[in-house]
Amino acid sequence: MFHRESGTFKTTYAGDMALYPLPVARGTVIALFVLFVVVAPLLLADYYLSIINLVMISIVGALGLNILVGYTGQISIGHAAFMSVGAYTAANLAVRLDLPFWVTLPAGGLMAALVGAVVGIPSLRIKGLYLAIATLAGQLIIEWTINHVPWISGGTQASIQVPRPSLFGYELKTQGQLYFFVLFFCVLAIVATLNLVRSRIGRAFVAIRDQDIAAEIIGIDIFRYKLIAFAISSFYAGVCGVLYTYYFGIANYENFQLGVSIDFLAMIIIGGLGSVLGSILGAAFVALLPLVIRTVMETVGPLFFTASELPGIISSLRLVIFGALIIVFLVLEPEGLNRLWRNVRNYFRVWPFSY
Amino acid sequence: MVKVTRHWAGAMLLASAIILGAHPAAAQQKEALFGLHCDRTGATQNVGVFLCPGYQDYIALVNSKGGVEGFKIRVLEVDNEYKVPPSMEAHERFKKEGAVLEGLYGTPQTAALTSKLNEDKILGTSPGFGTAAATDGKRFPYIFPIAASYWSQAAAAVEFAKKQLGGNLKGKKIAYLFYDNPAGKEPLPILEDLAKIEGFEMRTFAVPPPGVELGAQVLDITGRYKPDFIISHLFGRSPSVSIKELKGKGFPLSKVVSLVWGGTEADVRAAGGFGIAEGYHTIQFAGVGDEFPVIKDIIAMYKAQGKPAPKEIETTVLYNRGIMVAAVHVEAFRNAVKAKNGAMPTSEDVKNGMERVKGLTLGGLVPPMQLTPEDHEGGGWVQIWTVKGGKFVKTTEWFQAYRDLIKKHLAAEAKSK
Amino acid sequence: MGEDLDFFFSLVVSGASIGMLYSLIALGFVLVYKATEALNFAQGEFVMLAGFVAAALLTAKGMPVVLALIATIAIMIGFSFGLERVVLRPLLGRPIVAVIMATIGLAAILRGLPPITFGGDTRTVPLPIGDNAFSLGPATIAPIQLYGVIVTLLFLAGFTWFFMKSRKGVAMRAVAENQQVAMAMGINVERYFAIAWAMAGIASAVSGIIWGNMLGVDVQLALVGLKVFPVVILGGLDSIPGAVVGGLIIGIVESVASAYIDPYVGGGTKDFVPYLLMIAALMFKPYGLFGKRKIERV
Repeated sequence: MFHRESGTFKTTYAGDMALYPLPVARGTVIALFVLFVVVAPLLLADYYLSIINLVMISIVGALGLNILVGYTGQISIGHAAFMSVGAYTAANLAVRLDLPFWVTLPAGGLMAALVGAVVGIPSLRIKGLYLAIATLAGQLIIEWTINHVPWISGGTQASIQVPRPSLFGYELKTQGQLYFFVLFFCVLAIVATLNLVRSRIGRAFVAIRDQDIAAEIIGIDIFRYKLIAFAISSFYAGVCGVLYTYYFGIANYENFQLGVSIDFLAMIIIGGLGSVLGSILGAAFVALLPLVIRTVMETVGPLFFTASELPGIISSLRLVIFGALIIVFLVLEPEGLNRLWRNVRNYFRVWPFSY
Repeated sequence: MVKVTRHWAGAMLLASAIILGAHPAAAQQKEALFGLHCDRTGATQNVGVFLCPGYQDYIALVNSKGGVEGFKIRVLEVDNEYKVPPSMEAHERFKKEGAVLEGLYGTPQTAALTSKLNEDKILGTSPGFGTAAATDGKRFPYIFPIAASYWSQAAAAVEFAKKQLGGNLKGKKIAYLFYDNPAGKEPLPILEDLAKIEGFEMRTFAVPPPGVELGAQVLDITGRYKPDFIISHLFGRSPSVSIKELKGKGFPLSKVVSLVWGGTEADVRAAGGFGIAEGYHTIQFAGVGDEFPVIKDIIAMYKAQGKPAPKEIETTVLYNRGIMVAAVHVEAFRNAVKAKNGAMPTSEDVKNGMERVKGLTLGGLVPPMQLTPEDHEGGGWVQIWTVKGGKFVKTTEWFQAYRDLIKKHLAAEAKSK
Repeated sequence: MGEDLDFFFSLVVSGASIGMLYSLIALGFVLVYKATEALNFAQGEFVMLAGFVAAALLTAKGMPVVLALIATIAIMIGFSFGLERVVLRPLLGRPIVAVIMATIGLAAILRGLPPITFGGDTRTVPLPIGDNAFSLGPATIAPIQLYGVIVTLLFLAGFTWFFMKSRKGVAMRAVAENQQVAMAMGINVERYFAIAWAMAGIASAVSGIIWGNMLGVDVQLALVGLKVFPVVILGGLDSIPGAVVGGLIIGIVESVASAYIDPYVGGGTKDFVPYLLMIAALMFKPYGLFGKRKIERV
């Protein structure tokens, strides 16, 4: 399970920056491929696949937000609004023009990227927390626009039903079929992000985050790269929104309100800013923790409470435990799950000879 | 990348293992499972914390009396926090554990689950929320509003206003004060049509979420528009604020009628008490108050266990709605069991059973609804209850209004899709 | 014409008074940010908690009103104080997002606790102030709002004096300016953080009492926290007069916009017009109207 680096030496910069740091990694990728493509869908019931599907969709969104917040250092509280832009773009295209998902999905992403770049314009002047609130304004204005323009929202209900995605005339609708649909885009997003952050653009982002004035001095066009960061991040958000749309069969802006933006921020902060693994862990953590808490409470709860008290207590305790765990995590390990994981790994890497 | 995904997989599997391990297969004999979506902690928790206990207590009462046709009912409640992804997870869990029906909760959640429920052939009820178009059982075979939709409520509100204003609305001015979200805007087409039919003038006043402050809207209504009647359709904290503000500006509350989510005991208390809200009219799709035999039975059930009845029972508007939803669920299940001669029905059987629910009254708590394969709303029956002398007093019996107009809209809606 | 003018005047009065009540909440936010650079996303939940405490104390039998109010303030001071000690002090010097996230976690806890401890019911904060609105020309103003405005103005004066004139206030400004240098000058930084949180506790307690009286107390009272952001950004995150002026502007703009723009666009402009205004302001004054400009050095 743990790679040992011994015997591997890097002799070129290209080698150091390679996607697979170690030759053995290739083997693990194949093993993972088999696990996720063959084993998981065969063994797991629909219920577990539905949870994995939801986690994978949120991973796409979390990766996007991490590019903006974690890598470029621009705080955004408007991420969910870009998801709704993607969702409504795709839904309108799918319903009015009868376009298939492989057209609507990138179209939704691109529209979100465009809107994201516009919302990112204030980043030219505004920084840090002030920018966070400017993006909050973006969130509210996008929500309002969708709610009030029937041409976008499809009527007073502001929800557009979309047909299930189909591939070669074959409709994807069970959790198992949707699993492959979502898995494909989730893996694509992960690989794309890994490649992005080691590219020229990715390094420019990090330079801006670490010290924007210095970055400008060494010749990085800050404004351009900030807008690129907003656009790329929103593209992911848009794709995430389209995935939600196809997954639920409906585009509805009420799925993408302010609280969702904050949930996604929670994911990347808990997972670890500026880390791909962090985005994945954080998305899984935020999605799974409530389930784990509920399951544990349902198992041990009846020992302490009556059946009529229990549901209320589970709901409230879940919030309390969730909040408390976030705080405990932050106090113990402010750099998130990613760092926690690295600590564990580093411990075992040299185990049992810790020096 | 490699390490990345590998460890993620590890974490996922571990978490799945925890969830898997914690669920012993709960398939006892003669037990039926009802799935209940609820919101006790999210944006609409002020409804959920009363409605869901009502549901749970009624099912407990049914079980304590021997269940339904020999079946015990188990309720699996999942709190969706008014978010959509958890409601999908809840649905899959209900499906996995074999639920025969689901009580949905929340308009966006209902929208997101509509196609899934159709595909999985499990019915979901959406009392007082969701889309009014779901009344059409042909278009939405597995969604059952089972209570007056926003369209029916709006029609009833106009009918009531007409009665209060002397039987004629010609030339009258009605203000529509609404929460600025899709649910708040849903009644608009009905109201606009009725304005033409009845010849009244209508102006709309939007309250954007979170609606903690209505100063400008109320000033606009009372100071500039000066309507003859107000139809109010608000959620969350805003109903109580509207009562307080209207009272403060001297508008008579007896000229206000609120749709179903703006008239609970909690709203009245938050507005400053029953004295302040005197005269305020509310539309209800379940009976209000504790003067129903079923509530006495629930109190007696708790007493037999040596416990006081839960405090939630005092917020009768919402608690009784929970009872009503549970009673309709039980009735649908009973119909299904009877149709199968006592065998365990499938979720499709229960759906057919739901389409035969009628004649259920529960001592007047449930409206005289009749569900059919075409009409999943059951007729759109409502009562008006008015704040009078420290409590809600019944002002009208069950009535339905402008059914033809609503049927016309349903037909138009069905054609447009 | 006269009636139109009266209507406009009423709108402004109503907007201004509600805006001042936003400022009251915003003060708690600004006090914390000013001293500790921590953004408190749980400000609405603080107000809600104070509302619950006030509701419990004021409806308790035999409790004099004044004592109940003082006790509410004392409990909120204690709460903020303890919170700083247990949660935020360990996060000292950590990245700002960690602090933000901690307050989001705290908000979750605070929303989860009341249903267990107080029950889900909506409670009231009864205050013996009567219901008769005060008239101000053609406009009327509810008594609770008037008291709210007075309290906000008192706080404005008090806190401004504190930061400008008192020794502790000056020290606190030093802490806000540069924690390291302040430490080197012999200022006990941690102690001033505690004081800042305690002062925020006072502001939260009073907000909880006033907003609790206006809206009733349940978990949804926390929603008022949402109104804080445009106020503080417009006024400047670290400026006390800014919070008050920001509140005034936002309140009046909301009120006027909703009466004059809503009819043309179908409503709801109240929701985002303040934000539009805010972005516009930020493009010209990136640190708010009264915020302190930070000069960055490489």
